[in-house]
Amino acid sequence: MTARIDTLAGVSRRIEGLDVDELRQAIQEEYALVAAEPERDFHFHTGRRLAAIVGYDEEWLDGVPAGTIASFAGTGNPFSLGRLIPGERVVDVGCGAGIDSIIAARMVGPTGSVIGVDMTPAMVEKARAGAKEAGLSNVEFRQALAESLPVADSWADVIISNGVLNLFPDKLAGLQEMARVLKPEGRLQIGDILVQKAVPEKGKQDINLWKG
Amino acid sequence: MIAAGFVDFQITWRGDVYAGAPQSSSAAKFGTLGINFRARKARDEAEWAKALAKLSCEVPGAISV
Repeated sequence: MTARIDTLAGVSRRIEGLDVDELRQAIQEEYALVAAEPERDFHFHTGRRLAAIVGYDEEWLDGVPAGTIASFAGTGNPFSLGRLIPGERVVDVGCGAGIDSIIAARMVGPTGSVIGVDMTPAMVEKARAGAKEAGLSNVEFRQALAESLPVADSWADVIISNGVLNLFPDKLAGLQEMARVLKPEGRLQIGDILVQKAVPEKGKQDINLWKG
Repeated sequence: MIAAGFVDFQITWRGDVYAGAPQSSSAAKFGTLGINFRARKARDEAEWAKALAKLSCEVPGAISV
């Protein structure tokens, strides 16, 4: 369904002058710190304070391990866009320490399932430990790039993601990958960021700006 | 979003999620806000084609000949 999109005029695919490998390395280093030392000072809020800012219900956080909550670093609230339905299949793209995957796993219940995907090994390890501590058997975590999700075509009813899409060097490729794993009429429920002023081309090559 | 195969894109919330963060963000000068948005994967090729056609009709400055 997405093959012919390469012919659509005006769709930007890549950013000239951006070293994608260097960008991914820098992002992994930043988020490995969020996994290991969430109490450090970052340029974004983390943890329970952030969860309150973006409107997470306390009820959702009940039973989520404290360490998982501490490393929360999203920018929005995917669950405010609609509660997940028992039995649904969910993919959490850029799951980080797994807070949203764990919340989703509880919403979809034992007949549903959740796959959390993150490129940062420290986050995947922390997410697995959190799910184990929470006693969940319907969620698993896989280390991979969001642009090549290790999920079968049309597997998911819903894709959630929180503060991740803005870090994709090729946003169209990332969105097309999400479309691939979603069923027809599957839902995207995303927290992310927008900029109200245009970022100059030079800025798009600045990895420090990507990181914040 | 439409180019990737989605329809019914809607931003439902935006808010300053960086205010008061421990370190100042270089993204602040671009007016960066947190947002929530939803979209739906088109049900089939026909629905997607319809959304794409509508999009191409809405390009600012487009000239019809």
